[in-house]
Amino acid sequence: MDRELKICHLYPEVLNLYGDRGNIICMKSRLERRGISCRVDQMRLGQKADLASYDLFFIGGGQDFEQEVLLEDLRSGKGAEIVSAVEDGKTFLCICGGYQMMGHYYETHDGVRCEFLGAVDFATVGGDVRMIGNYAFQLGEESGGSTVVGFENHSGRTRLGSGVKPLGTVLKGYGNNGEDKTEGVRYKNVFGSYSHGPILPKNPQLCDHILETALERKYGRKIELEPLDDRFEMLAHDSVLDKIMKGEIN
Amino acid sequence: MSGFSIKTAMGVAACKAARAGLRIARSGGTTLPGRAAMFFDKDILASVSEGMDIIVVTGTNGKTTTCRMLEQALSSTGRSVLANKSGANLLRGVTAEFTANADWMGRPRKKFAVIECDEGALKQVVPLIKPKVILVTNLFRDQLDRYGEVMHTLDQIRTGIRLAPQSIICLNADCSLTSSLAFDVPNKVIYYGLDCPVGEQKDAEISDAKYCIRCGTEYKYEYHTYAHLGGFYCPKCGYRRSRPQTAVTAIRKLTAQGTDIQMEFRSPDEKDPAKEKTVTRDVFVSLPAVYNVYNAAGAVCAYTAAGFGRGDILKSLAKTSSSFGRMETFDLDGVRVQMILVKNPAGCNQALSYVTSLEEDYNAVICLNDQTADGHDISWIWDAEYEKLSSDENLKNIIVAGDRAEDMQLRLKYAGVPEDKIRLVRGWDQLTEQMRDSSYPVFVLPNYTSMLALRRTLAEATGKQEFWKG
Ligand SMILES: [Zn+2]
Repeated sequence: MDRELKICHLYPEVLNLYGDRGNIICMKSRLERRGISCRVDQMRLGQKADLASYDLFFIGGGQDFEQEVLLEDLRSGKGAEIVSAVEDGKTFLCICGGYQMMGHYYETHDGVRCEFLGAVDFATVGGDVRMIGNYAFQLGEESGGSTVVGFENHSGRTRLGSGVKPLGTVLKGYGNNGEDKTEGVRYKNVFGSYSHGPILPKNPQLCDHILETALERKYGRKIELEPLDDRFEMLAHDSVLDKIMKGEIN
Repeated sequence: MSGFSIKTAMGVAACKAARAGLRIARSGGTTLPGRAAMFFDKDILASVSEGMDIIVVTGTNGKTTTCRMLEQALSSTGRSVLANKSGANLLRGVTAEFTANADWMGRPRKKFAVIECDEGALKQVVPLIKPKVILVTNLFRDQLDRYGEVMHTLDQIRTGIRLAPQSIICLNADCSLTSSLAFDVPNKVIYYGLDCPVGEQKDAEISDAKYCIRCGTEYKYEYHTYAHLGGFYCPKCGYRRSRPQTAVTAIRKLTAQGTDIQMEFRSPDEKDPAKEKTVTRDVFVSLPAVYNVYNAAGAVCAYTAAGFGRGDILKSLAKTSSSFGRMETFDLDGVRVQMILVKNPAGCNQALSYVTSLEEDYNAVICLNDQTADGHDISWIWDAEYEKLSSDENLKNIIVAGDRAEDMQLRLKYAGVPEDKIRLVRGWDQLTEQMRDSSYPVFVLPNYTSMLALRRTLAEATGKQEFWKG
């Protein structure tokens, strides 16, 4: 059977900071090397399309200036479609600003509240200090349990609601808020994280886990991806993890 | 502020002593002398630059090369010029350069200065040195973990310009971010730019400025040059590229030795100010690649705005020599090694376009460090189009090196470069040895601190001067 995943890259023209493009390159390549075809469509501001026809959604990080344009577009109906795709079990990978957008709101430190999608039960409050640096976290069992390395750069502090799990537990660095050791969110098939860098190339187990989640949802049964030659991936992963844990890099 | 000041004199003495000490210690360090001077006189920079004719260059890419072009044009006419060559472009570094140039009473010994200034430091530096001209080259995403965002950098530059209302501002007309600096500043503003497209711009290429800075509408373009630069206009609010006074009207021939261009200079007709007077010239820019055409146009614009003769700089551009790490060429026992500093995706794409456009076989070396001066965040490598390398048949092998060589190696794999073409080399000495053994010319694309480190090793191996001696 010819298998295919259809990826929808949401708002690539505004949410494209910090090498997010690498996540798309990585997913596409890892699927195609296993003979699974992969189509990536970009969904830009103002474009209308049937979100239900996609299997996996990617949302990246953005600049504050551009967020305004974006919220307007979400309010025009696309936001509601995203929320129902989440409830429908579609797979989402949401990074940094795209991650924050899935929560209830973002409140700036002078009290201005920006209403977001509320697709997942969490909220973010702006802080004075930017949380910046290479960091590492351990994924929860439901996300494969491997160790993830990445780079975070955010001033927002995210607190998860009682009904949702974090994506992982911080080993070194700040994570969601620099206090409770949680990093990112895992709800249904939504994977949210502050880790850009991008997150997937150096963390191939997480990439494959996300792809398997989307394939299982699409084909109605567990599909195990065959292993790939990940020497370069693991060299990059291990070398930076080693430096992070030894405190050799910021 | 004229007259003798004990504070200033002590600052000068302290700075000179610190500088002499560093030279003996061979460290090449540049912040200590400035700190020593400022300890005695916080605003010493104002005294030691008083009465000088100064051009300041800021912006994301091209600062160093543009300064080099300006400095060489001034020197070629016999003027004695102060320049901060060693990349000391923050307040302390600039202070050190000027203070070292002053006599023991704190009076400048040179009349002219060309100063490269960090975008964030502009607001501290220009109120003290009161430049005749401030040139802003362009704005791209750069070193994200230091500045956060392009918009923030833009605000910092605007603040700096407002603090120097007497300065003439030269702006890149083709950069919608840069040219927006003209809004709400009291200064006289003039523009330079390319009136013609360059190469073929693809839709997928990165854009740091997709939406109108005034109203948020997506820009349209009459033509593109590279990245977000070109003939932009906003269909809604009318913000658009300004017609440049210094314009490149044709690019005739691009080679590894340089570029043949045509320039046009525009000024209002004295008899009828509604009309325009134009002068056209053929110009050769001796540094290769399109971004150096921009640097040349910017340099001509700033040079003439400062009141110097156009003819001098047009002549001098034909023999501009490269500055360290920027298109600098070494002869490593018969192997030609050309070094092209890359610091961000826009600059990197330009360097990759240049390397892959030449019709000769070569080996490539890509060095990636993540020190503070580079930015700890290396994710920009995923925004740069290393894919260009995978389709280049002239490319034989690639070596990756530096603190984050493993990340670079992985990036190249996903760019489609076959794994067996890629080698990881640790240590600058080992890398230099490998380059010495190359059967082909070598192009090195390092980022900032890896360039400094490799350059030191290469300079030793080839007998070139180290930059801090120059
Ligand atoms: Zn507009």
